[in-house]
Amino acid sequence: MTYLQRINSVISGIISIAVAVLLILYPNYAYAVILTILGFGLMIAGIKTLIYFFTMARYMVGGKVSLYKGVILFDFAAFTLSLTNVPKIYILIYLAGIHAFSGLVEILRANEARNNGAKNFKLKFAHGIIDVFMAICCFVFIKKTNTAVFIYSLGIIYSAILRIITAFRKSTLMYVR
Amino acid sequence: MQEDFHYYATYCAAFLSGFSHEESMGICYSAQFVDYCSRTILEKIKAPKNAATTQLQLEMMDARVDILGLQDITRIWSSFHFLPKDLYAKKEKRSKRYMSKYRLICGPNGDLVVKTVENAKDKSLQHIGIAMHVLADTWAHANFAGTPSLVINNVDNEFYEYIEKDGKEIERKVKFRHNPSAADDLEQGLYTNSLYQGNENSIMNLGHGRAGHFPDYSFAKYRYLPAWGDYDVIIKDNPHDYERAFAQMVRAMKFLNGTMFGFDKNMYDESVLEKYGDRIREIICKRQLIANDDWKQFGQELSGCEIESFDIKKYQDEYINAGKDEKGDTFIGKFIEGALSQKGMVTNEIYESGSKLAGFSKVVNKEKGLGL
Repeated sequence: MTYLQRINSVISGIISIAVAVLLILYPNYAYAVILTILGFGLMIAGIKTLIYFFTMARYMVGGKVSLYKGVILFDFAAFTLSLTNVPKIYILIYLAGIHAFSGLVEILRANEARNNGAKNFKLKFAHGIIDVFMAICCFVFIKKTNTAVFIYSLGIIYSAILRIITAFRKSTLMYVR
Repeated sequence: MQEDFHYYATYCAAFLSGFSHEESMGICYSAQFVDYCSRTILEKIKAPKNAATTQLQLEMMDARVDILGLQDITRIWSSFHFLPKDLYAKKEKRSKRYMSKYRLICGPNGDLVVKTVENAKDKSLQHIGIAMHVLADTWAHANFAGTPSLVINNVDNEFYEYIEKDGKEIERKVKFRHNPSAADDLEQGLYTNSLYQGNENSIMNLGHGRAGHFPDYSFAKYRYLPAWGDYDVIIKDNPHDYERAFAQMVRAMKFLNGTMFGFDKNMYDESVLEKYGDRIREIICKRQLIANDDWKQFGQELSGCEIESFDIKKYQDEYINAGKDEKGDTFIGKFIEGALSQKGMVTNEIYESGSKLAGFSKVVNKEKGLGL
């Protein structure tokens, strides 16, 4: 990892945590902010896919799919940004789905680690259970307005912390000759 | 390749190159252990985790696909299972990013396979076993890269296998399914492959996942359109390639045990094929999911000794119970030393070719006292 990539990771991590804290403090504005983030996220994904097509996928057998995908993502981004309100239940279902899936993967990993005799499976198992628990919470508190904001913010903080930790990890392999 | 070739066929090749039964067992055990030495196992026996030579299925599901995660995956899979054929390959009108992946495409008789064999010279049996695994896989895994890449490793539906019917070779369209727990059905032509993922760096796009187990079956002959191939069809003839792999392993090990001088690209031990070619071809061409029994029988006929089944736990207690200063002298300790050396060599070669896909590498000269 280059120094520029490390600095980039740290700065984007800090900004993400700041945004998450603001969302928790001002939940009334949160849905509009989340929609904006989603809209811009889709737009960036669309542009990235188009760049991917022109630099990589155009050389690939059947690579035109990436061109169509990029155009459709860009279209969705424009649509999302033009919305003024989205039923909150969709956002909750989306968040619950993400947590349930990652929880399931963690539990399977913990089981695999346990079968192979590794000792760190308890932490992984707990992580998986918490993820599944949060998914259940999303459904239980589906009528509470700020549940989605809170869970979404926690997710942002978690990703940001991981990103900052990654920036400080050793990434050079020693080759002893 | 599977246990049949990495374990039993490697035993046969080692014995035919002049190693004793005991030495051949050490070599073939190490060659097979490359497919088992995951971080999870290393963690269990408290060994250095960066010596991992493979990743378990769920380890990969769990793997991060950020830059560090991708570098880790590439280091493991390019070093041990998909050795790049030409790190300086040229292709016109391609972006630098595309070329960095294109150059990791695996294939036999590249510069790196020679360096891999030379790197094992005057080293342990474990190191020789690792080198033989890498060499053999350059034949089986040719045309795929050891890094997640849709534009390199994808395979579309135009996938046909050649089968014999009424004494004639005919083409049959392959039906792929995505259930990893379902065994391939050779009779019906039903095979498992990884799910299509449009994300360039998805773990599903690592190696030959999209072509299923075809590269691992010695009997398989098939044609397909590789994603990188500009719509040119590739006909992959595994029986031919596996035979070459066997003859090359024998030649490489004759160099490693000092029976013959030098090892270079396109060097094979033809004498072994003249003597045992029919028997080897018979085993290779037999349509079966795994050829353990046939290779084992052949090996036992060659040496007259019993070849015990591969047991993953065989050397674990020895390593766990060894003192800190004695671990390096254990079987697994020597394997780890060989694995780190191979991984370091390949990572360094990829880095020096201008690619950061396997991460950064720093050469440390042990003789100058700058060792780890």
